[in-house]
Amino acid sequence: MHDIRVGTEDVFKRQLELAARNYELLQNRKVRAFNVMGAIGSGKTLLILRLAERLKDKGLRVGAIAGDVAGDDDYQRFAAAGLVAANLNTGDDCHLDAHRVGHALEDFPLGEVDVLFIENVGNLVCPADFPLGTEGELVVISVTEGDDMVRKHPKIFAQTDVLAVNKVDLAGFVGVDPMVLVDDYRRLNPHGKVVLTDARSGRGVDELLGALGL
Amino acid sequence: MHEYSLAHALLQALTDHLREHPVRGRIRAVHVRKGELLILSEEALAEAWRILAEGTAAAGSELQIERVPVKVRCGSCGYAGPVRYSTDEGWHFAVPVLSCPRCGGRAEVVEGRELAIVGLSVDEDSSEAG
Repeated sequence: MHDIRVGTEDVFKRQLELAARNYELLQNRKVRAFNVMGAIGSGKTLLILRLAERLKDKGLRVGAIAGDVAGDDDYQRFAAAGLVAANLNTGDDCHLDAHRVGHALEDFPLGEVDVLFIENVGNLVCPADFPLGTEGELVVISVTEGDDMVRKHPKIFAQTDVLAVNKVDLAGFVGVDPMVLVDDYRRLNPHGKVVLTDARSGRGVDELLGALGL
Repeated sequence: MHEYSLAHALLQALTDHLREHPVRGRIRAVHVRKGELLILSEEALAEAWRILAEGTAAAGSELQIERVPVKVRCGSCGYAGPVRYSTDEGWHFAVPVLSCPRCGGRAEVVEGRELAIVGLSVDEDSSEAG
């Protein structure tokens, strides 16, 4: 038996190239885009709507792409709030990828927005492996998922530099100490920024804008 | 999570490679480098490979996976190299911490996300050897 050295193309290379292309397009069109990842039902959509309200007050135009396996519920929420919105169904895929987002950006009126939120499919596993080409990333969890959410999905938290711990108003009702989530995150991501939010009341939204550099 | 689609992509890459660089003899093992940041089960990837490789030039071969540790470059202090690992009780494995281990700043990942074939172990072709 003998060994042969082989150098095949990295199977993620194309994804990274497509993400780089999306990044370049967004930079050229002067759109600041954010990949909003997080758990199912953690409040990603409402948090985006709250961020959009504040950004509108600052005179910025906001758009959102609603990534979901099926349906247009989130798209309808964005559109009803007056955001420039697009719906992006993945069919069966559990995450967005740069290829799909690239096609969505081709059809999106980028000239009409200054800030674009791309809401990923609710999932704390796969989105971490598929960069979209946004300038920033945010991961959202809520206290109602339990205080072990960071420990159960360490890689996405180690790789994402802004965390929102949402629904903090409900912490007492579900017996969760949000600081457990915060401490776990800080150990995994010492330079990351973590914000406690309650999207319903708007608590923490200004701080989150700051953490995103907006 | 995406072991079958990624095993398929590796198999496609190997098929493309063999078209231009055919090997004589039977492929016993396919050596892969896999970045440790990828959320990818090595057992499931190897199993997907065994199933998908049937009927191809790689049939019966074993996927041998080398885990590539994370390396970072720090924009603040210029550090380049491996990272610190968080091994606190409660994580289920050592988790690479992507901050700069020297100054604590934000560091860019330069290795640890790759997935590519780097080598083959091939049996000598007995029909040629005689």
